Amino acid sequence: MRGDGVTPGGRQPRFPGFDVLAQSGHWDQVTAGVVLSRLGPREPMRFFSPAEEAIARPLLDLLLDQRSEPRVPVLEMIDSRLAEGSTDGWRYEDLPEDGQAWRDTLTALDDDARDAHGSGFAGCSGDTRTALIQAVQDLGTEKWHGLPADRVWSLWTRYACTAFYAHPWAWNEIGFSGPAYPRGYKNAGVGRREPWEVADREDLDPVRDRS
Amino acid sequence: MKWPLRDGSADSVRSRNASAWLLPTGDVRTDHQAREDMRRFADSDEVDAVIVGAGAGGATMLQRLAHAGWRVVALDAGPFWDPDRDWVSDEAGSHQLYWTEPRVIAGDDPVPMGSNNSGRGVGGSMVHYAGYTPRFHPSDFTTHSRDGVGADWPLDYTELRPYYQAVEGELPVAGEDWPWGDPHTYPHSAHPVGGNGEVFQRGADKLGITTKVGPVAITNGRFGHRPHCIYRGFCLQGCKVNAKASPLITHVPDALAHGAEIRADCMVTSVEIDERTGRATGVRYVRGGVEHLQRAAHVVVAGYSIETPRLLLNSTSGRFPDGLCNDFDQVGRYLMVQGAPQTAGRFDDEVRMYKAPPPEVSTEEFYETDPTKPYRRGFSLQTVSPLPITWAEHVAGQGHWGGALREYMRDYVHWSCLGALCEFLPQADNRVTLADETDRHGLRVARFAYSQCDNDRRLVKAAQQVMEDILHAAGADEVITFQRYAHLVGGARMAARAEDGVVDRDCRAFAVPNLLITDGSVLPTQGSANPALTIMAVAARAADRLLARP
Repeated sequence: MRGDGVTPGGRQPRFPGFDVLAQSGHWDQVTAGVVLSRLGPREPMRFFSPAEEAIARPLLDLLLDQRSEPRVPVLEMIDSRLAEGSTDGWRYEDLPEDGQAWRDTLTALDDDARDAHGSGFAGCSGDTRTALIQAVQDLGTEKWHGLPADRVWSLWTRYACTAFYAHPWAWNEIGFSGPAYPRGYKNAGVGRREPWEVADREDLDPVRDRS
Repeated sequence: MKWPLRDGSADSVRSRNASAWLLPTGDVRTDHQAREDMRRFADSDEVDAVIVGAGAGGATMLQRLAHAGWRVVALDAGPFWDPDRDWVSDEAGSHQLYWTEPRVIAGDDPVPMGSNNSGRGVGGSMVHYAGYTPRFHPSDFTTHSRDGVGADWPLDYTELRPYYQAVEGELPVAGEDWPWGDPHTYPHSAHPVGGNGEVFQRGADKLGITTKVGPVAITNGRFGHRPHCIYRGFCLQGCKVNAKASPLITHVPDALAHGAEIRADCMVTSVEIDERTGRATGVRYVRGGVEHLQRAAHVVVAGYSIETPRLLLNSTSGRFPDGLCNDFDQVGRYLMVQGAPQTAGRFDDEVRMYKAPPPEVSTEEFYETDPTKPYRRGFSLQTVSPLPITWAEHVAGQGHWGGALREYMRDYVHWSCLGALCEFLPQADNRVTLADETDRHGLRVARFAYSQCDNDRRLVKAAQQVMEDILHAAGADEVITFQRYAHLVGGARMAARAEDGVVDRDCRAFAVPNLLITDGSVLPTQGSANPALTIMAVAARAADRLLARP
């Protein structure tokens, strides 16, 4: 296992040198199997059609600000979940089940792009795509293509975040130490760290320093 | 000198429930031999009781009845978990712990299901609950006569007290001496507190709000063959240590030792009724695609607040054309969730709230009705400590996405997070009915409608304000709140009269004398307490009553 603390997009780390995967030898085998499989080869796309994939990929890149490699393969992870029907089961009465809701909303986003800009979502510039997505969020509880916009937004971000923050590269980025069985934690408490944890460089407080 | 046996002492527990001593020692968590040697009944055997669902209510019932010599079998729709093989220290990898069969949510304020509030498999939702096990307050049993809201139970607190004490000993519960409700002590002393708990204590101290450590059903010291908690933080993903209590380790081992059977991976599709006598004769279930009918002298339904009403509504007959026990249109009604706003605060110091169990510190200072406030009843506050995926939901819930989402998430180690449990009131129209769509068994799925009332909204607002105040007092420079729900109770409530509920004070169905319901769905009110302990106590009491008067 490469122990070099990969982060998505190689973003400058706030936790320099922290590599959660360097601890994988201390994880129980079942957990290690589940987590490390996320670093391995993915199943080919099965759920999304090529046309849907062309819309979903830039949508997810924008939602998670993934601008460069290495990317967490969020689209592929979502495709696997939907292909396997590995959803939470429940649906809002005014939305179809998750898979169909994904298909319908990707099509709707593409329709918005064509109506406003004469080309599909995939063919729009980054700024245009951002504006199209922002417009959906801005609708709040109002309807968007007959669907409640806030529930569509929740569907997109829920799937995106569940995939992204399941990945050890994302854990490197946020300083999360990941699995801890059978070892456990010995240094809980404000300002305390395990020997392998890395202090935040504290060069940025997103509250005070946000532009 | 001979020491008296206190309820809750290990020796006293062992004599009535030896589960903790029947687990293996060493690094293996499951006694595979005990499962292999488990007694197995035939469908044609008329067992003394068949239990539907092996969670908090069903497994407690199973252990009590088996211990008393009854021939009992529990059917569960999910697996017979092995913590070593089936559970992981990982959020996304724990998806199989939840009930993910299709359900439809509706109403003005629909309640998302899945990971938050539904269990699957032996141990039920207690496999992935945080571990908080507070008692209800005495006032919870008389909210209607006391505060003019909710309902009065046909049972009072003092009748449940001995069962609270018994179950607290069996789990066992760790915590400081408890000053609220009916003041009491716990068998295990309080756990040390992590970063999130420290922040909560610091902020509350500054405001003069009393907090206490606990109450959590997590061993603090060895208990039988269960080891001490190792503070790994993944309580909500199933405890691989056998430190956090769930019926899988606290009641099932003793039940098996007394000849009970657990039949896993069995989806019960209906309760069968003899049209002539009006008595239940057993349950129909599907296992491996094959339909079976288990005969039983008593049927105990414990499928929790969505599946119990759904099973009753799907069990139609000539005598019960609108669903079993539904003579007065009570099945599925008065279903409750707690409003559970989650407020987080940002600190310059690293909090690293993922270390130590998420359940650490609570306050019940705001639990009771305060006549100076514009709402009845109240709320409790607890540490919650979300892991990254759940934390991302909180951050995305603020509207952040793209670069802002990533920056907030990079700041994870600096955040502390509290959760409230607000006592939402029982309302007749908050209920389960059947949707037109069907699941893979061809059974109509549950439609769960939920709408808040004004009192509910006021409580959420008040709880959020107190959490913000506490975090600011502790030194937070920003606070953010995410609105969510927690827990389920009601849906087949107990009542004094058949017109007002589905079961009586002993959890016996009004309409079918040998049918019991012993899960969270029988609770008429919910307080601001996590429901697991109360569900187990109500089931333990129902078992005693059944044994006394079969």
